[in-house]
Amino acid sequence: MALSEYIVLRDVQIPDIADFDVYLKHGGYEALRQAVKHKTPAEIVTMVRDAGLRGRGGAGFPTGVKWGFLPKGVYPRYLLCNCDESEPGTFNNHQIIDRNPHQLIEGIIISAYAIECHTAYIYTRGEFAAASRTLEHAIAQAYASGFLGKNILGSGYDLDLYVHRGAGAYICGEETALMESLEGKIGQPRLKPPFPAVAGLYGKPTIINNVETLINVPPIVEKGVAWYRSFGTEKSPGTKAFSLCGHVNRPGNYELPFGVPLRELIYSPEYGGGMREDRPVKIVVPGGASAPWLTGDQLDVALDYESLAAAGTMLGSGGVIVLNDTVSAPHVAYKMDEFFKHESCGKCTPCREGTHWLVRVLHRMTEEHHGHADDIPTLHDIYRQMAGNCLCLLGESAVMPIKSALDLFPEEFETLVKVQHAEHRLELTSR
Amino acid sequence: MPEIHVTIDGVPVTVPAGTNVVDAARVAGISIPVFCYHPRMKPVGMCRMCLVAIGTPKVDRATGQVEKDAEGKPIIAMMPKLMTGCTTPVSEGMVVLTTTDEVKFAQRGILEFLLTSHPLDCPVCDKGGECPLQNLTMEWGPGNSRFDYSDKVHFEKPVPLGDLILLDRERCILCGRCVRYQDEIADDPVLGYENRGRNWHIISKSDPPFDSKFSGNTTDICPVGALTTADFRFRARVWELKSVPSICTHCPVGCNIALDMRHDQIKRVMPRENGAVNDIWICDKGRFGQRFVESTERLTTPLIRRNGELVATTWDEALRVVAERFATIQREAGGEALAGLAGPRLSNEDLFAFQRLFREVLHSPHLDHRVGMPGEPHADNLGTELGVGSGTNLMTLGKGTTVLVFGADPEEEAPLYMLRLRGIADRGGELIVVNPRPTKLERSATHRLRYRAGSELQFTRALLSVALAEVDTQQRTPDFPGLDSLRTTLQSIAVDAAAEAAGVTVEALRTVAQRFVQAENGIIMYGADAFAVGPMLTHDLGNLAVLAGKVGRANNGLIALLPGGNARGALDMGVRPDYGPGYTSLSQPGLSAREIWGAATEGRVRGMYVMGIDPANDFPASRGALEALEFLVVQDMFLTATAQVAHVVLPSASFAERDGTYTNAERRVQRARQARPAPGACRADWTIVQGVAQALAGMLVPVAAASQSATEGYWSQDGSEQEGVSRNGQAWNYITVSDVADAIADTVPGYSGITHTSLAQTGKVGTWGRQTNEDYFYDGTNYENTEGVGLQYPAPVEQQRTTFTLETAPIQSAPIDERYPFVLLVQRLLYDADPLLRDSLLVSHVPAPYVAISTNDSRRLGIQAGDRVRVSSSAGGIELPARVVVDLTDGSVLIPAHLSGAPLSMIQTGPRTHVALTKIAQR
Ligand SMILES: Cc1cc2nc3c(=O)[nH]c(=O)nc-3n(C[C@H](O)[C@H](O)[C@H](O)COP(=O)(O)O)c2cc1C
Ligand code: SF4
Ligand code: SF4
Ligand code: SF4
Ligand code: FES
Repeated sequence: MALSEYIVLRDVQIPDIADFDVYLKHGGYEALRQAVKHKTPAEIVTMVRDAGLRGRGGAGFPTGVKWGFLPKGVYPRYLLCNCDESEPGTFNNHQIIDRNPHQLIEGIIISAYAIECHTAYIYTRGEFAAASRTLEHAIAQAYASGFLGKNILGSGYDLDLYVHRGAGAYICGEETALMESLEGKIGQPRLKPPFPAVAGLYGKPTIINNVETLINVPPIVEKGVAWYRSFGTEKSPGTKAFSLCGHVNRPGNYELPFGVPLRELIYSPEYGGGMREDRPVKIVVPGGASAPWLTGDQLDVALDYESLAAAGTMLGSGGVIVLNDTVSAPHVAYKMDEFFKHESCGKCTPCREGTHWLVRVLHRMTEEHHGHADDIPTLHDIYRQMAGNCLCLLGESAVMPIKSALDLFPEEFETLVKVQHAEHRLELTSR
Repeated sequence: MPEIHVTIDGVPVTVPAGTNVVDAARVAGISIPVFCYHPRMKPVGMCRMCLVAIGTPKVDRATGQVEKDAEGKPIIAMMPKLMTGCTTPVSEGMVVLTTTDEVKFAQRGILEFLLTSHPLDCPVCDKGGECPLQNLTMEWGPGNSRFDYSDKVHFEKPVPLGDLILLDRERCILCGRCVRYQDEIADDPVLGYENRGRNWHIISKSDPPFDSKFSGNTTDICPVGALTTADFRFRARVWELKSVPSICTHCPVGCNIALDMRHDQIKRVMPRENGAVNDIWICDKGRFGQRFVESTERLTTPLIRRNGELVATTWDEALRVVAERFATIQREAGGEALAGLAGPRLSNEDLFAFQRLFREVLHSPHLDHRVGMPGEPHADNLGTELGVGSGTNLMTLGKGTTVLVFGADPEEEAPLYMLRLRGIADRGGELIVVNPRPTKLERSATHRLRYRAGSELQFTRALLSVALAEVDTQQRTPDFPGLDSLRTTLQSIAVDAAAEAAGVTVEALRTVAQRFVQAENGIIMYGADAFAVGPMLTHDLGNLAVLAGKVGRANNGLIALLPGGNARGALDMGVRPDYGPGYTSLSQPGLSAREIWGAATEGRVRGMYVMGIDPANDFPASRGALEALEFLVVQDMFLTATAQVAHVVLPSASFAERDGTYTNAERRVQRARQARPAPGACRADWTIVQGVAQALAGMLVPVAAASQSATEGYWSQDGSEQEGVSRNGQAWNYITVSDVADAIADTVPGYSGITHTSLAQTGKVGTWGRQTNEDYFYDGTNYENTEGVGLQYPAPVEQQRTTFTLETAPIQSAPIDERYPFVLLVQRLLYDADPLLRDSLLVSHVPAPYVAISTNDSRRLGIQAGDRVRVSSSAGGIELPARVVVDLTDGSVLIPAHLSGAPLSMIQTGPRTHVALTKIAQR
């Protein structure tokens, strides 16, 4: 059942909300006015915490709690809006920027006010050239109307907001790599601790949040905690803009309250509209390529943080990839790990070498038709040697496709090497 | 530091808070393998080699108490994942497991991963045999690889990072040590990374590439054979090498080096660990600049002049002729007609024997270790008298320490000091760099001041005035002779005016003085730009140290940077006209090098002995005097410009061909060992000097011994050391060099107890490298120091034996000659026309001479970079191409010293020269 009231993808109901005047007409920047005029920063932090808003960037960490980690009295602080959106299967940030940029900007200003910072950055992925221009245009409008810059709305609060376009790297979405990149260095993760809230950008306390996280802030401030909690579940309040793609009839971004069953997302005519040619679902990757796979018989799982975790996977970025029975599991694993190999920053050994080796073996199996029985235990070992041992989560994520494929579809690997072995023998004997 | 108790594989250890698990394990005698971690740099956790299982005592959330099991032992909660030991600091009660199956699987996994991208070309790799990757693979790695060899990625190899260091990308395991070393330790952040994933690799970011004077150290800390030096590459297998302990004599730091020998050839030069001197680093001059030893241009036999030509002769004849000619002159004109110069790189034993020959045998007081050219440093006693206290350790100083670097450029004059001072700043100390021109050390400084050349004394007087006020306020005014008169003189100092004259702000000037006074420990380092002002300035620095109470104890005092690896030794041994050995005053001072030239031209000095120094080259104006001599004997490794006009040339052994001791800028006496036989007939300098003394026996007119004796000196109060100048009549029967060292210990005040035997007892030291041979921890390059750390003799001020008085002479402001409006700054360079750089890769690093001017001056005079400029002073003129340096102070010009084609001594008029600039040709 479609939402009666959208929180994030408001362009569904108000198609031209990207237009500054339209946004203003629909109550735009009212939440900001309320915030800076009538609320203290601490009150806003409390509201966001009480609303139960959780980070949409992947980890689902409670946003208000994160804001509370800032060490008292240490300034300057920075707010970074993470718009590196590079997780395969995830594309809601892009739609938000294209179609509802002002609500994001308003969310950033309120959040910056809440954490008492005076400089904020939106870090966009390198490929988002047009989107970055859209943002810059919208930011200029906000400045011109006194929503940004010095003495915002006469409140005495100052904020500068900049757009920084990266050079196109998935790893720069990882919060510490993003900060390195923003500082002009090579985009690679830092050692944690210290965590960004304590020592982030330029060594200063820094809050980093996803686009979708921050765009939730104005409605929370404007309409209140109880209203917000009327969406979703107890532990996953609110709505989520799922990006749906793969062998479905209607791929796209769909905003749903948390807790809707996966089956509904795929089959409801309002959302996925069912599978193409009505073929059965074989694999669902529910939270971007980093999430462990589900199979066709797990479609009743509810789309919220807890239920997906209980099913052994995660909600992640909310990018739902649905694949039908025509795909080969080893091949899907190969394609996904090829992505991680390509995006590995190279800083730590297991990810740099492990992804490379994984991809070599999978390529031999799936593309060169040259697999060997020994390759299967080797693949198991490679991901085990990586799992838990990498410097950042990119390397850990690279484990998921191959581990899922090997665990869920072992017979496909066995068949592959058996057939290839036989073919190879045939080739040898016929020579 | 609070102590923390941890248990590693069941072994309990106690370590200071902040220690990481890898280091703590080492204390427990347990090795955790590492690649990216290096104990001198911040941990980064990149390679993941040091993964271990770690647990901490479980704490009851409610009570905050550690939960205990039935037996009352704390319950340990293991962390869900393995942790990198290098990045995990210990915490109370921590339990570390390094040998569980899970840990072993992970460690073997990391090694297997690393080997998938490794070319395994050990048989042709320079690192083979001392390679951590080899060693760790043997101990922790898989026995075989499952990686398909045809999947290996290949890169072009090697690629030069610069002309000294080559990178083999295939071998590189991307531990980042080289990049971090350049950033964190050398402060030359010239290396970096490019690309990502499997294509991630090391690059040089500078122009010229790998522009650092410390680049060789990266090859030592590289845990694989990825970085090799152009100097050693493919020259030997490391297991064939025998390391001989030695000392670098290129500069006053006195780095501990090892000459890695195969048979008689120096295959490479490596650092030996000495925390008190160079830690585990050396500069590139020390590493690559020792090739002169094996130069084919070395002299191999004595030479004698016959019919105008120098021809080979025997030692017997050479020594006989030298003795006869010296004796003749002495008989005819007395010892006063003889003079001797001995260079500041020779060993203490050589220098001691040399001055004995002059003072005791020939009865000549004319001795010097300099060439007498206008700009050279005065004979500096303060560096000893108020020198840094015994036990000073620049390796650990940090918070609470203020180092004032005044008029010195450590990177060029004494490179390792740049690393040491940087470290102090890094550990929270204050580094105040005060100079008339830009230096690289400024980058690491906490406070940086540029004074206008010519205003130094006003500047130091103002510093003294602020410092005095500060100590008065703190009621810490030292009771030192001269205080009252100093107080009176300083009353007339206007700090504001002085600051303005110096071109610095009053606040900055005050801050410097106050910080220095307030610091717990204070060190003042001064060098070429301070010496360019003369003794009044260095005395003011002494005044400041005394006023601030920063003398007479460890980690406090002065460090003087003098040119030459053993200048301190030369001053200590009395190879100088004004003092005898051990700073004993002389009843009759001799002529300085400067004065000797005049005397030689006039015929008052008729014979000279020049050992290990080349006045004809360094100070061309001395040629006339040299040629006027009736008899000149030159003792050297090479046929120097001076040797070419000599009557007899005696071939000497290099530092690598004999044992000897050298005294560094901090008065540390260190011993170098013989690594190879001397070529041909070469002999150690002290042996030759003794040969001359022995040959002279009976030839000379006896002189009353009394005229030589002197007893005044820092150590003179001490009855046992009353001797002053070495005992007359002591026989010349040294058999080995240690006999000479014993004589030094017996007779040179301050050196008592410093013998080769006692030096040998300073023990094996080290915390790094293969110090615990069988141990695999940090294995690889061997920095082991079997020769000990040397002995530092006490500074007189420590023993209340100083004669220092707080005093300031009035500033003589010479009238400014308007024809010469620019102050000439002379920059000492590490890579200059030093003939000892011959045959080394560094020759191409020696710049062509130039004159640098400021941007404003260039605009004003219409001089552009590359234009030819005539630089003239009242003494003469030279022509040089111009360079424009952005941050040079207006009104000063800078010319690097000692480059061929720029005979600076032609224009220098004294310590400080004023010059005019005229453009003579467009670029
Ligand atoms: C390899 C990698 C890529 C990531 N990419 C993104 C991204 O593109 N956008 C994003 O918001 N978070 C990304 N994250 C998560 C961020 O590190 C961070 O957790 C997030 O921005 C926090 O925001 P949130 O609390 O609002 O979720 C990535 C994490 C990893 C490990
Ligand atoms: S896990 Fe991969 S992306 Fe992360 S630091 Fe290591 S190499 Fe870089
Ligand atoms: S060159 Fe050597 S030190 Fe530098 S990153 Fe590679 S392996 Fe490490
Ligand atoms: S710093 Fe000085 S002593 Fe040390 S290696 Fe370099 S030149 Fe030699
Ligand atoms: S990660 Fe600890 S040694 Fe490299």
